[in-house]
Amino acid sequence: MIGLFLSPLLPASIGGAIEFIFEPQSSNVTGGKKVGGFSQVIELTITQLELTVLALGLSMLVALPVGLFLGHRGTGELLAVGLGNAGRAIPELALIAFMAAAIGVGLLNVTIALAVLGIPPILTNTFVGIRQVDRATVEAARGIGMTEPEVLFKVEVPLAIPTLMTGIRGATINIVATATIAPLAGVLTLGDFIINRNVYGSNGVLAGAILVALLALALEFSLAGLQRLLTSKGLKLSAA
Amino acid sequence: MPTPEVTEEVSSTGASAVRYENATKRYGDSAEAAVERLNLEVPAGEVCVLVGPSGCGKTTAMRLVNRTVELSEGDVLIGGESVRKRDPARLRREIGYVIQQVGLFPHRTVAENIGAVPQLLGWKKDRIRARTVELLELIGLDPELGERYPAQLSGGQQQRVGVARALAADPLVMLMDEPFGAIDPISRERLQNEFLRLQAEIRKTVLFVTHDIDEAIKMGDRIAVMRKGGHVAQYATPAELLMAPADEFVEDFVGADRALKRLALMRVSDIDLWEAPLAHVGQATAEVRAKLRDAEVPYPLLVDAERRPLGWLSERDLSAETVPARPDNPLGPLLDRDDVMRDALADLLQGEAQYAAVVDHQGRIAGVLSVEIISEFLASPKAKAEERGAVERPRE
Amino acid sequence: MNSHLLPLAAVGEVGKSFFHHRTSETLPCQADTSKLFCFDWAKDNIGRYETPTLQHVELVAISVLVGFAIAFALALLAHRRRWLQPPLLAATGVLYTVPSLAFFFLLLPITGLGRDTVVIALAAYTLQIIYRNTMTGLANVSASVRDAARGMGLTDRQILWRVELPLATPEIVAGLRIATVSTVAIATLAVFAGGGGLGQQIYTGGQLTFKTNIIIAGGIAILMAISFDLILLGIQRYATRWRRVAER
Repeated sequence: MIGLFLSPLLPASIGGAIEFIFEPQSSNVTGGKKVGGFSQVIELTITQLELTVLALGLSMLVALPVGLFLGHRGTGELLAVGLGNAGRAIPELALIAFMAAAIGVGLLNVTIALAVLGIPPILTNTFVGIRQVDRATVEAARGIGMTEPEVLFKVEVPLAIPTLMTGIRGATINIVATATIAPLAGVLTLGDFIINRNVYGSNGVLAGAILVALLALALEFSLAGLQRLLTSKGLKLSAA
Repeated sequence: MPTPEVTEEVSSTGASAVRYENATKRYGDSAEAAVERLNLEVPAGEVCVLVGPSGCGKTTAMRLVNRTVELSEGDVLIGGESVRKRDPARLRREIGYVIQQVGLFPHRTVAENIGAVPQLLGWKKDRIRARTVELLELIGLDPELGERYPAQLSGGQQQRVGVARALAADPLVMLMDEPFGAIDPISRERLQNEFLRLQAEIRKTVLFVTHDIDEAIKMGDRIAVMRKGGHVAQYATPAELLMAPADEFVEDFVGADRALKRLALMRVSDIDLWEAPLAHVGQATAEVRAKLRDAEVPYPLLVDAERRPLGWLSERDLSAETVPARPDNPLGPLLDRDDVMRDALADLLQGEAQYAAVVDHQGRIAGVLSVEIISEFLASPKAKAEERGAVERPRE
Repeated sequence: MNSHLLPLAAVGEVGKSFFHHRTSETLPCQADTSKLFCFDWAKDNIGRYETPTLQHVELVAISVLVGFAIAFALALLAHRRRWLQPPLLAATGVLYTVPSLAFFFLLLPITGLGRDTVVIALAAYTLQIIYRNTMTGLANVSASVRDAARGMGLTDRQILWRVELPLATPEIVAGLRIATVSTVAIATLAVFAGGGGLGQQIYTGGQLTFKTNIIIAGGIAILMAISFDLILLGIQRYATRWRRVAER
């Protein structure tokens, strides 16, 4: 089995990888058929982004309300933190494979699988972030007559943004990483270049790796920037 | 103002004198120095209190001695030897260091904390163990507490351990930075008294920093009142400070109630206490009533077998055949022989009792005090002589 | 069939479809995609998982140890040199962000395929959490304890090893636990880089639809993660007995 993997591996080069990204290539490996090229790259990138965004959205939809609710109330720590710990232990490959085998292939199913991976960090960080807001500040807010939802959204959430965003960023990293192996479940993302070595050749593999890495870094960078935007100036000053 | 003569560099008890020579500390490029050209001499075996408003440089000055703050210019000499010549870490192992938050190692037992410096110095285990037990007893803690962790101790107990830790390696000099600042007033008073008792025995050279002028007067043999920049406005004995403040700054700092503060210069033990007739549980009340006839204090005091006071007996108590176990009147304020007069007076007034029992440090009855007795004493020629004497020499 | 027996029959059918009974076998379990979990196949084939499991343990152990060694050393370096902290945090962050699968193949030109590549990638992934937790743990040591230690005459090195690190141990081990659990999960991808491990059981040749296999392999991985976590938790509790004693 291992042999099948290793055999088509001619030495890959960065130059070759870059070529692969921009121009459809054909090589001995692919049996003359053209693969790669810019349009395919874009197509797969869009799929991966789509998948990531959908899964992240679903995770946030589920985890944020629960995290905010539990955090505000101060209960359910075992659930929120325990789930976070448990979520880390889920082996991505097994999850994708199982989802594909049990539920079937397709965008929706993979999205659900990815959301499962994204929920724990968001849930935990939202919970912890809200809990860590200074109790005195919260009491003061209640004292001046804010309703519970107002306290939560006008006081606790803004102060918890750094921790909250860190959770979302963590979830994104998990999701992007697992979206890379989505091709196993029939959803073609950039990971296809890496997984289907036989089709794309070693230049393709390296190209895929570079692209996935860049995509992940770009997403992380954007979210970090978003976090900076959303973090109130006062918080930034006090953290300095 | 009498200047302190240059004393010998090392006292008979092994403590060293500390001398600041034009000591200066400047931070960064700020024009103003935290401590500027400080010249001060602390004789061996004495407690020198550095007192002043926040930011005057007193803590910085203290830290120059063990180089936790490094000198910019000038020098500090311990026992005649410059601190600059020593390796800082080794120097510090010979200086006791007590800070306000104590800083006990939470992950080590009390005994391990106390033995920390001896261990650094390479003492043998047996010697460390013996010394630890000795110190625990010295600071008034049950040796069993040695196996506990700091978090299991109360604030006052932790402070004591901090002092024990500083004394462990028998240092030449002790540095204490607001050591009793973080404790409740009652415990603080007790710790101050105990430290003074201890100091009377071991006679270390102590540099004590505080912002509380009352504490300074109580604790210090000599007091240096400091202004911003570490400038010494006055360096004198407590009595002198109270009776002859050098300038307006010192006067303001000492406070308008200077006369009242002078009560801190004397102790309860300076007074001839009155005696109350003592009664034991089960004693025939006829006996007690007989004693009452010639007593100085018209109320009998119930004590236990070790002469520890339990309460005051009332008329009703005495109407029975024998003295009851539970007296009608509570004990009220309990004074310590070593209390300074000011604290004793405050307790008396607080307790609204006419008489208060005075005990020694083992809790046994030593006499009775009242406001009347105090005022009589203050007016007496003996008291005036005491005060005058306090000016000419530091407190013994 | 009588109507009131129908529910029973339905339950029976559902039950049968979930569990493989030798007596009613028509298809081998592997090919029958309707079966969720075949106990018999599991019983017969459990030996298959021995090597992958051992490989997996080996991968995780080596990667975490290497990652810890590097991250810990970096943290000690950065502890007293503030200027190092932002760049190190950023560097470990980048290594964390890049998906491991991609990382394996970025290393391709340098280390090729095989266990070394996997270990490097997995170790790199653990750097951020261990580095950050170590820094936080050290930073959280109370200033007065540090002050007292210095004033007592401990050298900087003595303070680090006798005071700061012991007090930072809970944070450090917490980071180690998180790193280990994550690494067990990610190591399933090692198969793609020729590193073996439990992922190999899942991925190799057409086993992707065989649910029983996936469940077993995944289950072993999860159990492994939990075990490592509990072991490290035990170590943490042992090393910080003083904390719990004090909390009484």
